[in-house]
Amino acid sequence: MRERYLYHVASPCIQRVALRRVNRLILLLTMLVLAGCAGDRSILDPAGQAARDVALVWWVMLTFFTVVFIGVIALWLYAFKRKHHEHTAAQERKIARRWIIGGGILLPVFSVSALLMFGIPAGKRMLPLPLSEPPEVIEVIGHQWWWEVRYPGAAGGEVVTSNQLIMPAGEPVDFHVTSADVIHAFWIPRLGGKVDMLPGRVNVIRLEADEPGIFDAQCAEFCGTQHAHMDLYVEAVGREEFEAWLADRQGERLAELAVANDEFSQARETFVSTCAACHSVAGLSTATIGPDLSDIGARPMLGGGVLPMEEGAIQYWLENHQTLKPSNKMPSINYMDTATLESLGAWLETLTP
Amino acid sequence: MSTIDREATGPEDLQKLHDDLSEVWGNPKGLKALTIVNHTTLGLRFMVTGMAFFLIGGILAMLIRTQIATPDQNFMTPEIYSQVTTMHGTVMMFLFAIPILEGLAIYMIPKMIGARDLVCPRLTALGYWCYLFGGIILSFSMVLEMAPDSGWFMYTPLSSSEYSPGLGSDFWLLGITFVEISALSAGVELVVSILRTRTQGMALHKMPLFAWYILAMALMIVVGFPPLILGSILLELERAVGMPFFDIAGGGDPVLWQHLFWLFGHPEVYIIFLPAAGIVATIIPVFAGRPIVGYGWVVFAITVMGFISFGLWVHHMFTVGIPQLAQAFFSAASMLVAIPTGIQIFAWLATLWLGKPKMKLPMLWIIGFLVIFVCGGLTGVMLALVPFNWQVHDTHFVVAHMHYVLVGGMLFPLMAGIYYWLPLFSGRMPSETIGKWGFWLVFIGFNVTFLIMHWTGLLGMPRRVYTYDTGFGWDIFNLISSIGGFVMSAGFAMVLIDIALHFRYGKPAKTNPWNADTLEWANQLPPSPYNFVSLPPIETRHPLWEHPELPREMQEGRHGLATASHGRRELWGTDPLTGKVREIIHVPSNSWWPLFAAMALAVVCISLLLRWYPVAGVGVVIAIGFLLRWSWENGAHPKAAPDAKVMPGDPPLHSRTMDGPGLWAMTTAMIANGSFFLSYLFGWFYLWTVSPEWRMPDASPLSLVALVVAGIALLGGSALMESSVRRLRKQLDKGLAMRLYGAALLGGLQFVLILWVMWNANLAVTETSHDAILMVGLYYALLHSALGAVISLLQGMRVGYRYVGAHAPFEPVVVAYFWRYNVVVFWILIAALAVLPRVIGG
Amino acid sequence: MKAMVQRLHLTHPGHFVGGLILWSIWFIAIYGGLSVACAVMPPDPGQGAFTHINITLLVGSLITALLLAGLAWGCFQEARQHKGRKHFNAFVSAWLYVFSTLAVAFVAAPMVGLPPCL
Repeated sequence: MRERYLYHVASPCIQRVALRRVNRLILLLTMLVLAGCAGDRSILDPAGQAARDVALVWWVMLTFFTVVFIGVIALWLYAFKRKHHEHTAAQERKIARRWIIGGGILLPVFSVSALLMFGIPAGKRMLPLPLSEPPEVIEVIGHQWWWEVRYPGAAGGEVVTSNQLIMPAGEPVDFHVTSADVIHAFWIPRLGGKVDMLPGRVNVIRLEADEPGIFDAQCAEFCGTQHAHMDLYVEAVGREEFEAWLADRQGERLAELAVANDEFSQARETFVSTCAACHSVAGLSTATIGPDLSDIGARPMLGGGVLPMEEGAIQYWLENHQTLKPSNKMPSINYMDTATLESLGAWLETLTP
Repeated sequence: MSTIDREATGPEDLQKLHDDLSEVWGNPKGLKALTIVNHTTLGLRFMVTGMAFFLIGGILAMLIRTQIATPDQNFMTPEIYSQVTTMHGTVMMFLFAIPILEGLAIYMIPKMIGARDLVCPRLTALGYWCYLFGGIILSFSMVLEMAPDSGWFMYTPLSSSEYSPGLGSDFWLLGITFVEISALSAGVELVVSILRTRTQGMALHKMPLFAWYILAMALMIVVGFPPLILGSILLELERAVGMPFFDIAGGGDPVLWQHLFWLFGHPEVYIIFLPAAGIVATIIPVFAGRPIVGYGWVVFAITVMGFISFGLWVHHMFTVGIPQLAQAFFSAASMLVAIPTGIQIFAWLATLWLGKPKMKLPMLWIIGFLVIFVCGGLTGVMLALVPFNWQVHDTHFVVAHMHYVLVGGMLFPLMAGIYYWLPLFSGRMPSETIGKWGFWLVFIGFNVTFLIMHWTGLLGMPRRVYTYDTGFGWDIFNLISSIGGFVMSAGFAMVLIDIALHFRYGKPAKTNPWNADTLEWANQLPPSPYNFVSLPPIETRHPLWEHPELPREMQEGRHGLATASHGRRELWGTDPLTGKVREIIHVPSNSWWPLFAAMALAVVCISLLLRWYPVAGVGVVIAIGFLLRWSWENGAHPKAAPDAKVMPGDPPLHSRTMDGPGLWAMTTAMIANGSFFLSYLFGWFYLWTVSPEWRMPDASPLSLVALVVAGIALLGGSALMESSVRRLRKQLDKGLAMRLYGAALLGGLQFVLILWVMWNANLAVTETSHDAILMVGLYYALLHSALGAVISLLQGMRVGYRYVGAHAPFEPVVVAYFWRYNVVVFWILIAALAVLPRVIGG
Repeated sequence: MKAMVQRLHLTHPGHFVGGLILWSIWFIAIYGGLSVACAVMPPDPGQGAFTHINITLLVGSLITALLLAGLAWGCFQEARQHKGRKHFNAFVSAWLYVFSTLAVAFVAAPMVGLPPCL
């Protein structure tokens, strides 16, 4: 059994931020330096080759362009200050040509050529070219406003989960992404670039996490009212742990888990009569309108990032989800009494493979 | 020719000349002010309305910055926030940036090229009313809390009826299309005015650079806007009728919308930038006290930008999943834009370098432009790099970049231009002190807001989120951005107060207060409705520098067209290349038709919004009626130029020639139409080859025989039109009416045949995108056949009234051009829709 | 040759847009061609950049670039023979053709290294 993750608090940077609250001045000064690691979503804190390439490209571009920028501005300002000289027409033409050809043509041609020579191979390295050993394939399907994640290659049969993505570390993974409704975008900032999730199409992006770790993701294409609450918990684990994680989520194992605890038979009945119209729990229902809940107890967060998973969190969600995440597609179930919601929540929390 | 200096006129004669000109050109007061077509008045109306929308857009921006100033805010609900962000982008782009620059061009171009008005004044008025009504309709959606909320680029399927069931998207699609009529009208007439109405001797290479910039902008509008108009029509048809152009299940493709949107959307950035750069290129030489360095290079750069900017649209779509090689094409093309940009920046630098620059208020805004725009340009090059783009696309980095380019590249030059031309607008000088305060507040506020926002984006903050959790390191930067935003607003408030106060307290300006070189400063301050008493011959690029007496001479009526006793509004029609005078163009005077036509179109827009289709149908008929009535008052019509007498030695009136500006306007309009048609063909082939669920029936549902017969009828009609024109060239107008009626009849036959094809095809337009897109093509052909028939019919009737004939041969030439366009397009349509599917098959 | 060059009226400002129109047509052709080719007969991704698609595109680009370079040369010739307006027109056109030539080369360069359909 896996431990529950206290969402976000796992990041040491956050604690640093909290400490720095003591001294606002230092906070402001050090923020720029430390911000690179301040969050889980910084592209300047790469955890994979693709993201590292881009971060490097960024720093190189920033340095070079800062020089260009300061140079151009300084020249303009100097043109105001400098003493005026009279030139003959021929001299003027020569000076003008020097500026226009040197600054207007050679400088940009040189800069963009250098960039492309750097950038195109970097892009090529990210292509999902055929490998001698085919990479793990994970399918990610965007919904308004949650993530469906499928593992078609799992030994023993396909594994389905929602709003969490567990991937093997240290090896390339091909993500096959698509959408069930509007356009979303799949983006794990610390691992690499993003790709759109389009209905009717499957896009492939190859990413690799160097080491095991937790990497946040958030939908990057505006997808409607709750675009802001479409977080994906991403964790890279060692190969063995990954296999074990998949094995824990085989259909029959999950089905056993769902009915393991007799004290929740009432909650199960409520689930089957109400929730099962949209949600599936292995062994009880197969609906695909809302997120699959078969291993919800083991997920680190609820509602696409609205709540961290804690004891009682599911009940809290069930009571307040339209306030926590207004306009989400789940109908309000406030008409149920507290006891029912409490037992429903408690049962769902036991779905922890 | 009477264009060379006349004798100095006596004071009484001069007074009479002024009175005559005022009588002919003057603006009516009261309710009749709604009929004004004069470019000076309408240019100001455009700019003032644009400023009003700028304030609305600015308030929306402040709401956004308030909401995301701190994490977990509840200032606005997510629904309202989406509406606010969508409307901020929409208002700023479509209702502020483009119209205000068009307004400036409308105001300035005739004055700069030595003309008295634009060449199609009623079109200016129609454009203004469409803009005003469209803008009001669109803004009204916010009052109803029904504003569009799918982001300003309206990506489907989010904007489709399934995911946006309210009226929001409809407001956007219909309102924006309505406003685009305005942009297109301005585009067409600016092109024709710049090419055909420059004063005598102003050859292409002596034109002020501003006119080059506006020429490029206008041509880009003409080519760039139609793809979005097509896209909007298709999306509105999908929403209203259920034709599945963008719906995967029906064989459509949402990515088609993105292509159509960005085919417009990227050029649009340059449509905004070019006129602003034109302001920069006008102001810098004046304050450097010397001609621009590298005039030819700048023309080169303008041309390159005008084209390359159409080859960049996919760089907004790098994450869509297009093959990387194709992305590399667009990446490389995007980077090429650095070259013309670099050339302009360094040409301006060289001008300052070799001149004696003075730091006046307009120049301060130019420096602000430089700092911000160069920064935005450099991040633009970064974004063109595909792997980097994949990381920062749709984050606040892009938001920051875009504001650097648009505010730096458009707003700062615009402010420089407004301060520079204030004496022209008001006859008074701006104040240097409050103006400087305003500048620094805006400049500092802007950079505080947006420089830091690059960093927020790099830290992973996506755009358009209404809330965010604390703990990603975004909080402090968002707060700083919001504070900067409010500082910037305070700056703009100060600038607006300064401008408002100057109308009352500004020092009166003397003639040519900045010692500029271009003709607009030869106007009285503020200008009279007719601009110039006489139109001067020009020999250099810098008339006022090399001929400082020119304003006085022009005011004394010592140059061309210094008469108005004939009651016509006249300007020169000159050769587009050499600037030699070819004819006298007489332009229509004040008219109700533009307002009425725009009101009818507003009724159409609103009834489409409310799904009152019969009312919309009636509105369309009425609008067309007004427009046709408008076209009736042309040529030898009593309200236009019933008699053709001109001063001895002057060239003939344009309506008495075969090559008047109307022909150029028709050609330009057909470029726009052609761009629309090509976008349609692109859509057809795109869906055919790329759409994942495309279904092509085994046999084409269109009757090839009927279409070919229709095509032959069209050819026949066109041949009749051509022969009419040939005979008119030989001064023959016997049987002219019969030929025109014959053409109308053949056009009618084509119309009936297309209708029959539509009827017989049994298209299931709500089932498959194939049938839906075929139907759109057939409707396009149907409308064109009807239009060809109707305008030929009207010409036939005009022959009866003697408005058209050997003595006034102009209009049939214009109509014949339309027929030519029709022939080409219709046969391409037959080949693409009916022949190719038979040859290749699904 | 000379007659042909004359017939092109290289001092007409229409040539301001000539090179860039050719560039645009070429650009649409390679982008459209690539998209259609990838939809109809995508090569094996393992083949890398040396596929029939890349080679066809490169040959087309080379021809376009040569044509544009020729026109640039012609414009420079004309520019030398004239003064004033015609010199200005031919000279600006010449540089626009040069730019278009380089733009073809620059945009076509990735064809050498990138596989076509991934």
